[in-house]
Amino acid sequence: MQSFDVVVIGGGLLGCFAARNLSRWDLHIALIEAREDVCTGISRANTAIVYPGYDHRPGTLKAKMTVRANGSFDSLCRELDVPFCRCGSLMVSYGEQADAVLRKKYENGLSMGVSELRLLRGEEAVKMEPCLAPGVTSALYAPTAGTVNPWELGIAACENAVANGIALCLNTRVFAISHTTDSYRIETNRDVFSARAVINCAGLYADRVQELVFPTSVHIVPDGADYLVLDKAAANLPTHIIQYEPEDGGKGFNAVPTVEGSLLLGPSERDNETDFAVSEKGISFVYGRAGRILPGLDLNEVIRSFAAVRPNPRREDGSSIGSFVIENPAPGFWSLIGIKTPGLTCANELGSYVAERAAEQLAAERNESFDPCRKGIKKVRGIPLERRNAAIQADPNFGEVICCCEDVTKAEVLDAIRRGATTLDGVKRRTGTGMGRCQGSRCQQKLITLLAQELGISEEEVTKDGKGSEILGGGRDEN
Amino acid sequence: MKTELLIIGAGAAGIAAATAAWDAGCRDIVLADRRERPGGILPQCLHEGFGHAQYGRELTGPEYAQQIAQKLNQTGVRLVLGTEVLAVYGNKSAVLSDRSGLTQLHFERLILASGCREKSIGSLPVVGTRPAGIFTAGQAQEMINLHGQDLGKEILILGSGDLGFIMARQFAQSGKHVIALVEKEAHYGGMARNYHRCVEPYKIPILYHTTVAEIHGSGRITGVTLRHLDGGGEEEIPCDTLITALGLLPERDLVRGLGEPEWLFFAGNCHRVHDLVDSAVSEAERIGRAAAE
Repeated sequence: MQSFDVVVIGGGLLGCFAARNLSRWDLHIALIEAREDVCTGISRANTAIVYPGYDHRPGTLKAKMTVRANGSFDSLCRELDVPFCRCGSLMVSYGEQADAVLRKKYENGLSMGVSELRLLRGEEAVKMEPCLAPGVTSALYAPTAGTVNPWELGIAACENAVANGIALCLNTRVFAISHTTDSYRIETNRDVFSARAVINCAGLYADRVQELVFPTSVHIVPDGADYLVLDKAAANLPTHIIQYEPEDGGKGFNAVPTVEGSLLLGPSERDNETDFAVSEKGISFVYGRAGRILPGLDLNEVIRSFAAVRPNPRREDGSSIGSFVIENPAPGFWSLIGIKTPGLTCANELGSYVAERAAEQLAAERNESFDPCRKGIKKVRGIPLERRNAAIQADPNFGEVICCCEDVTKAEVLDAIRRGATTLDGVKRRTGTGMGRCQGSRCQQKLITLLAQELGISEEEVTKDGKGSEILGGGRDEN
Repeated sequence: MKTELLIIGAGAAGIAAATAAWDAGCRDIVLADRRERPGGILPQCLHEGFGHAQYGRELTGPEYAQQIAQKLNQTGVRLVLGTEVLAVYGNKSAVLSDRSGLTQLHFERLILASGCREKSIGSLPVVGTRPAGIFTAGQAQEMINLHGQDLGKEILILGSGDLGFIMARQFAQSGKHVIALVEKEAHYGGMARNYHRCVEPYKIPILYHTTVAEIHGSGRITGVTLRHLDGGGEEEIPCDTLITALGLLPERDLVRGLGEPEWLFFAGNCHRVHDLVDSAVSEAERIGRAAAE
């Protein structure tokens, strides 16, 4: 049995930020995650937008948090040493109905204090973004919108939390929780944890985790969405986030210039496909929309398609819930259930919100030695050549390029493994290996060798993303 | 640093271009490659069938590499291995990276001999999951022949080009079960010679008018859904390994955006994809001589 003041269940973006903000207090904290790494579920696949906040009903927690979170995103990313690009967004319409929607969002945004928001005429938008299909009737320009890599942000928050003293327990799956007057007992496949407070950030399973000990009136009905990634070297890439507001009121569509330089297209419309498998209907929707809104894109430059899963919160009667659901069914137990868009934008705000409540409940003192800053993996791609040369002089591994598409060196890969990457995907999420146009076909063997060497395992034991995904020997799934 | 002629890529084409340029009188040549040994992909091509036109007999890839490397060794070409060319600039310079640091190299002329990369499955609208166990044919060849890896037992190959054929034979010879080659067209993509050598003798079926529509498996691949494009419906096929032989794309990213300056030459597969190494070599020799003038 391990005893903690607070146990955070779930190492996605929200769990990592809950843990980080809890570590601002003088508390003994554990973050437990079922998988082999953090940020492997909802956080590993989403639209990567930091929203300006004009979308939500004024006065709601979601609206307030989004505007506030957006305003502090630069300083958050500076603290965590994560690339953030405030590239601005253009929400475009092609007709009167959608014009009216944009006007409403504009007024909504003004009333909430979204700064620098402007309603543009179609010609102005096309001047800013010549790759847009002709016929734009109006555009809502939000210069404060930006993009960030979701898992990079989550991993950074987790590293910061660990540096501030929390215990990270991976491969730890919760199967039972019980409640006595002043503590919780959490049974897992590895150990039993006792805690004075529990923060449930179990993502797609958050409703079920709460139901292990308390009832909930909110249930998660997941839905999937599909995305395409266009190579960074493709022509006619937009420089702003493009959001398309359809005239028929149907599903919108985004083209997001990522911090890595590639273009993310999506999400799709889908019917009840709930897993991380790309759907046929969804992917053809994305191809269709992308071709229509940004006709200059060469969709032969697509390098990857992937699926995301979003946790939609629903009431007992099946109706959907628009606001963030933060349940507090008993003293010392908080659940973040069905946090979807703008969960990435608000991850630190939500983490801070639950951390403060837990700290108050436990009458915790401030952690005087809390350091909000984390140093990221030193990356050499794109830095001035003198600095890159100096890096090699200090560590020759910076001279050896492992992933030639994304220009990732051996030093970065080794650093990622030392920081906790144990799989190919773990290295990919921390360094960008395999994310380029060859999709890892040229660096995978080198990475297998480095992972095996550094982890002290055989190459046959190296996996893509955890047990059962071995790269060699036809997989080693014990059936 | 300065050189008269920089050649990027020490595969068959780069070596041939360098040797020919030297023979044509150019005495200041740098030949750079990211790999630790010359020969490009030849060392991983353990099968025979190379060099009929040049040598009048059939060599294996490593033998062919040895032949051309011997000629190279008789020249004064400076071979720099384990070296990544990070960038090429319009002012006729390149930045090279190795474990000792960065080098800015000024050149008079440049031959790009960087070969090609394989089209990856990510570029196709294939639905389903993204599990482990999917390799490009060239990647599989490198992992098996240079690193001694065992990739799987039940192999499905998407595409029927030469690389797909060669790998089908290699898997069959090493006791693996090659379920089929899957080809969306009505005819295979590789050369007839390779079909008769690699596919026919092992009775490996080629499924024409067929494609992989969906991938199954959450950790490791467990199978695919095949779609018969001629109206034959769909079927699920179990497999533990999917090899993609989807074709080759000339690798020219280093000079993207530089236009067509008179100092820039292309040799080998980054110029156009050659079926035979002999033809890549004779073309590269011509280009090497031209660049030496």
